[in-house]
Amino acid sequence: MTARAIANNVLSHALLLVAVAFALYPVLWVVALAFSGDSVPTARAIPVPTAPTMDHLREVVLTTRADADGASTWLFGQQLANSLLVSIATALVGVGVAIPVAYALARFEFVGKSGGMATLLATQMFPAVASAVPLFIMLEAMGLLNTRTGLILCYASTSVPFAIFQLRGAFETIPVDLEEAAMVDGASRFEAFVRVVLPVAKPAIAVTFLFAFMTAYNEFILAATLLSDESMFTLPVVLQRFIGEYDAQWEAFAAGALVVSIPVMALFYLLQKHMVAGLGAGGVKG
Amino acid sequence: MNGAIAWCRAAALACVVIAITLATSLAHATSPPVPDATTPLRVWHAYRGAEQVALDALLQDFGQELNVLAIPYDAFGSKLAAAIPLGEGPDLFIDSHERLGDFIHRGLVAPMPAALIDSGAYVHSTLDAVTLPDAVGTPRAWAVPLSMKSLALYVNTDLLSDVPTHLEDFHDLKETLPDGVFPVAWEANSAYTHAALLSAYGGALLTEDGGFGMHGPAATRSLQLVLKLLDAKVLPDDADGALVTDLFRSGKAAAVISGPWLAGDLPASLRYEVHRLPAIYDAEDHTGKSPAFMRPLLTVESLMMSPRGADHPHVAALIRHLTSAEAGRRRASDARALSARIDAAPAPTDSFLRAFQDQAAVATPMPAVRAMRAVWEPASRAIRKALRRDAQPARALEQALQRFRDVRRPPPPPRDPTILLTILGASSLLGALLLFHRARQPELRARLRASLPAYRYVIHGVILVGLLVIGPILVGAATALFAGQPHQMYYVGFANFIDILTARSGPLLSSGSFYVVLLVTVAWTAANVILHLAIGVTLALVLSRPLLKLKSVYRVLLIVPWSVPSYVTALAWKGMFHRQFGAVTGIIQSVNDVFGTEIEPIAWFATFSTSFAANLTTNVWLGFPFMMVVTLGALTAVPKDVLEAAEVDGATPLQRLWHVTLPMIKPTMIPATVLGSIWTFNMFNVVFLVSGGEPDGTTDILISEAYRWAFTREARYGYAAAYAVLIFIILAAASTAGARWIDRSKERA
Amino acid sequence: MVNVETQGLRKSFGDTQVLKGIDLRVPKGAFAVLVGPSGCGKSTLLRLLAGLEQATEGTILFGGEDVTAHAPKDRDVAMVFQSYALYPHMTVRDNLAFGLKLRKTAADIIAARVTEAAAVLGLEPLLDRFPRALSGGQRQRVAMGRAIVRRSKLFLFDEPLSNLDPALRTQVRVDIRKQHDRLGATSIYVTHDQVEAMTLADLLFVLNEGEVQQAGSPLDIYNNPANRFVAGFVGSPAMNFIDGCRISSDGASVLMDGHALPLTAPEHTAADGLADREVCLGLRPHDFELAAAETDALSFTPSILETLGPEVHAHGALNSYQGVIAMPAEVGLQRGATVHVRPTRWYVFDSETGVTLR
Ligand SMILES: Nc1ncnc2c1ncn2[C@@H]1O[C@H](COP(=O)(O)OP(=O)(O)OP(=O)(O)O)[C@@H](O)[C@H]1O
Ligand SMILES: [Mg+2]
Repeated sequence: MTARAIANNVLSHALLLVAVAFALYPVLWVVALAFSGDSVPTARAIPVPTAPTMDHLREVVLTTRADADGASTWLFGQQLANSLLVSIATALVGVGVAIPVAYALARFEFVGKSGGMATLLATQMFPAVASAVPLFIMLEAMGLLNTRTGLILCYASTSVPFAIFQLRGAFETIPVDLEEAAMVDGASRFEAFVRVVLPVAKPAIAVTFLFAFMTAYNEFILAATLLSDESMFTLPVVLQRFIGEYDAQWEAFAAGALVVSIPVMALFYLLQKHMVAGLGAGGVKG
Repeated sequence: MNGAIAWCRAAALACVVIAITLATSLAHATSPPVPDATTPLRVWHAYRGAEQVALDALLQDFGQELNVLAIPYDAFGSKLAAAIPLGEGPDLFIDSHERLGDFIHRGLVAPMPAALIDSGAYVHSTLDAVTLPDAVGTPRAWAVPLSMKSLALYVNTDLLSDVPTHLEDFHDLKETLPDGVFPVAWEANSAYTHAALLSAYGGALLTEDGGFGMHGPAATRSLQLVLKLLDAKVLPDDADGALVTDLFRSGKAAAVISGPWLAGDLPASLRYEVHRLPAIYDAEDHTGKSPAFMRPLLTVESLMMSPRGADHPHVAALIRHLTSAEAGRRRASDARALSARIDAAPAPTDSFLRAFQDQAAVATPMPAVRAMRAVWEPASRAIRKALRRDAQPARALEQALQRFRDVRRPPPPPRDPTILLTILGASSLLGALLLFHRARQPELRARLRASLPAYRYVIHGVILVGLLVIGPILVGAATALFAGQPHQMYYVGFANFIDILTARSGPLLSSGSFYVVLLVTVAWTAANVILHLAIGVTLALVLSRPLLKLKSVYRVLLIVPWSVPSYVTALAWKGMFHRQFGAVTGIIQSVNDVFGTEIEPIAWFATFSTSFAANLTTNVWLGFPFMMVVTLGALTAVPKDVLEAAEVDGATPLQRLWHVTLPMIKPTMIPATVLGSIWTFNMFNVVFLVSGGEPDGTTDILISEAYRWAFTREARYGYAAAYAVLIFIILAAASTAGARWIDRSKERA
Repeated sequence: MVNVETQGLRKSFGDTQVLKGIDLRVPKGAFAVLVGPSGCGKSTLLRLLAGLEQATEGTILFGGEDVTAHAPKDRDVAMVFQSYALYPHMTVRDNLAFGLKLRKTAADIIAARVTEAAAVLGLEPLLDRFPRALSGGQRQRVAMGRAIVRRSKLFLFDEPLSNLDPALRTQVRVDIRKQHDRLGATSIYVTHDQVEAMTLADLLFVLNEGEVQQAGSPLDIYNNPANRFVAGFVGSPAMNFIDGCRISSDGASVLMDGHALPLTAPEHTAADGLADREVCLGLRPHDFELAAAETDALSFTPSILETLGPEVHAHGALNSYQGVIAMPAEVGLQRGATVHVRPTRWYVFDSETGVTLR
């Protein structure tokens, strides 16, 4: 290695380390808070827990509820299951609905295509503040208030347009030749789409799935407003319960936040290789 | 043949849309099912901890099956407002009495039958608090008082032996206390707390006749007193509830002004007493009355009944059960709640509750009228502004008065919708004719036929997006032409837009006017997108260097900001920017210690530029991983041979980057940037959670303004919708212009 | 094995007409090559035959059956793409088997065919690799294999060799022809490389601007080009064209720079009414011989010499025109040294229509 290459390498690592410090610092504060027994207000530069304890974590994770019949339900477990259920369903609906639409947008010419694309982009520009109430009234009309289905539909309203954008870009990068080869090989257009295009687009689909999953997994305002049954609550709603009118249990809140982010972190870790390829392949072509 | 199928499909789709629209508009016309004795009563509350446990125990004893739901406090109000009109809400719910005015206005509560309130059994002021005029002006009781909450003085008896009688006395205690211990602490920035000081000066947040009370000599002098105490470091800066708790808990404040909720957070080892709030010498000088005690606001937690609950046969029994003297006593012993019932008064030995009882006796019930809702934001802003010394107290309060009037302006008068309907009808007729005409052209029919296979792939998506996204957006956009509450809206024409665009007839460039906020929003979007791109692209370029080690480790670590729920990390950032106790100040102090410099800690939310920078830092932190990953992906698509060709051509690394790499990743980056800009433009939660618009609403962006109008001000949905429509128009115009520009530059290239 | 016929095939993309009425007739078992310059519509024609595009007008017949409206999967054709279009998510084995699996062929037959094709193409060691781990030549062979296992009645090739280096190209060219002969199927092969076209074809179709200019055996087309375009396109180096020549007033010869080239050969059946007509003269580089400095010989001064071993292509001034001449190497042409040559064969084209005048 030349001196110049070494200098470049050192510089790269230095830059990345600074960036990593910037990225992790606030998160470390959340971690420190989650394990702090009591917080003494002092201005400190280094995030370490004071009087370390696992109590908050335990309190969050081990919440149970006494049922009428004397048995007790592990509420946290149920709510974690709800969160996963709702988020996975949202992602499935989002990606599932978006895949054929995105494919058609990437591959076919049809009347209304450019208009449809423009409309889809336009929906991203309209703030949810004004469309939430009508959406609500509609869900009620369909009898879906206080159901997980209703919540999933609400989330789908954001995840579907996003997934369409994301996947259209991904499909556009896949050479048309592949499908044509499959069609000549004896596949119908649809078979070629399912057996060739989808497998090839798997990384992009995985990444889109993750994004759709995240929007649902971290959301609490809609969930809290829509659901009226504790056993249906998702974790962010539960977390929000640590913040009261006059005071907040910040340590428990932080502990909960950590627990909540573990599945996402794990997914990120598993998908990160795909993510780089997937997002690149997808691009977010608008 | 195929064409016929296409038209059938289109017609079916149209029918579905129309059916849903009809169904939704009829939704509130159909009455919810009448409850009978077998449907369990629904009870909603926002209690946590001991209060929740005590309530649950009480409800359990009722003996009937109940449907009880504990809701996050932040979502409680909006959930009630959303659910009750749809018949999906609770039968009974527990909330603070000051919401009653608004609830009555929106039809969320039913009047409480007189038979259920044993008027002799309650502390008189609590009954007053829940008695409000109904639609025709007759005073009625709308809720049953449960418990009372007010601020009082907590004193750490290890640090203070004598409790000062006057607030100013704390000043002299400074010398006697250990270093770093504040004599007294309270949430000085909060209008709720400040109301106690104001009352000593004879003022009130809301005047008798519903006017803004937080101005004039009394308010000014009360603020000047706080300023004096802050200057003398008798009182900590920028204390919020959590900080007050932490200070007292850790012995860093000898006394604090807080409510009964504080006791739950205090360790058993801490020895403290609760006392009435002290008097104020300065107020005695001002009013000529002596003693001039601070009188906190009194909140009466009350049991309220929804219109749906009023029909339930068992509701009376449950109300009696929950409001009995026995229930009051149990909640007092289990949850330390001060009952509103005289016959459940705390025992003489219970010094804690006794102290709060004494305090409640002289507290001022919080006004429950709707106007009160409009007081908080201007009052708090003015207090913060004055305490930051951004303006003389008198001046800040004058602006607050202005803002209050602004919010309280009467809604626009109803207009005749005939013109709109005529135009709509005519244009839809014209559109239909045009469509019909075009559909008959053979060329279009041929193209439609050719499009059929594609439609098979998109039809379900069109229906779903149409129903879930476009439908609500259209209805939402239409509400911009209306005013009033969601279920009693009336048409006002373009009054909302005119109001916004003329800055509510104030000066066009004053703070909070549409144009100024737009400017801030554009600056916010531009700064964010530029930084996201700069940081994201730089890191991606470094990460894609072929010889770099530990690539995947860096990649995972750099993605972390993206994976933790953003509402948690945004709050973490806000904490880090705290002037006295934030981590940023900690870093500054460490730097000072190590290098012997004397950098002052920065009051981040005191000036526009630092507050904007704090928001920006948070959002850049949240957003750069996305750009980094997008760029990394785009970079994998840059063929190596092109770069090598450039290298052979003698391009320096920088030239290669500029002339080869960047142009090649541009096609991926442009759409990502466009979507990123749109999202940033509407990124309200960072602004909301970090700076909250501080200072003085200057860092608010359009979307957070819209949220304030919809949720924290007067629930003017029409007004908020008008903001949303304007945001949409701006974004649509900007992206169209942007697309033109990109196309043109492509042509030139 | 099937014969392929198209009748009045037209294809437009929007307003641009790409194919303007193509009539092909490819007999059973023939190796037909479509050749033409870039953008002339070769790929489009092939894609129409495969069913990947729909004809705007006209019919396609496979063995007499009208397949114009059939989907690709119902046409039973195999196609080798220019990009190879290997499925990146499948191993070589799965790539080969995919077409058969789609047709629900029994597993043992699939295995047998894959093994056979792999053996023929030397793909055995690569069967469990993914396409990304193959070289260009190997990928090409997989693409071939994918077509072979199908045992289709019709093979379509779209410039399958253009991504290979010249040496490999020659070898694979031979392989393709071998496989064609072995399988006895009908093949239609698209290329813009006329050497490939000449060497492979039983039947050559020269396309230009969406029209078949001439169809026939390669040699026939070489010897008797139907028009100036075909004459220029087929043969290497390309024919020299000399504009502004004139037919003598007796119609018996063509005049170039004052030289009279008699129109006596069988290909120039002097027709009536051609006298005094302005024409274009076509001279193939190979149709020259050295001559003494006589009056009827042309002078040639080479400026660039391309030595190909046995043969030299000399670019230079042919009288007052620029031209190319091919001579055996032993003639010893020298740069700048003027020699005299005499054309041994010549073609005459109509100045306006480009049609060969015979
Ligand atoms: N989908 C399409 N839309 C519009 N025009 C097209 C389309 N496909 C091909 N064309 C046009 O049709 C003409 C013929 O294209 P084609 O691909 O058949 O050419 P080709 O003879 O195969 O050329 P090459 O040798 O370069 O591959 C070209 O001018 C091309 O631009
Ligand atoms: Mg081609």
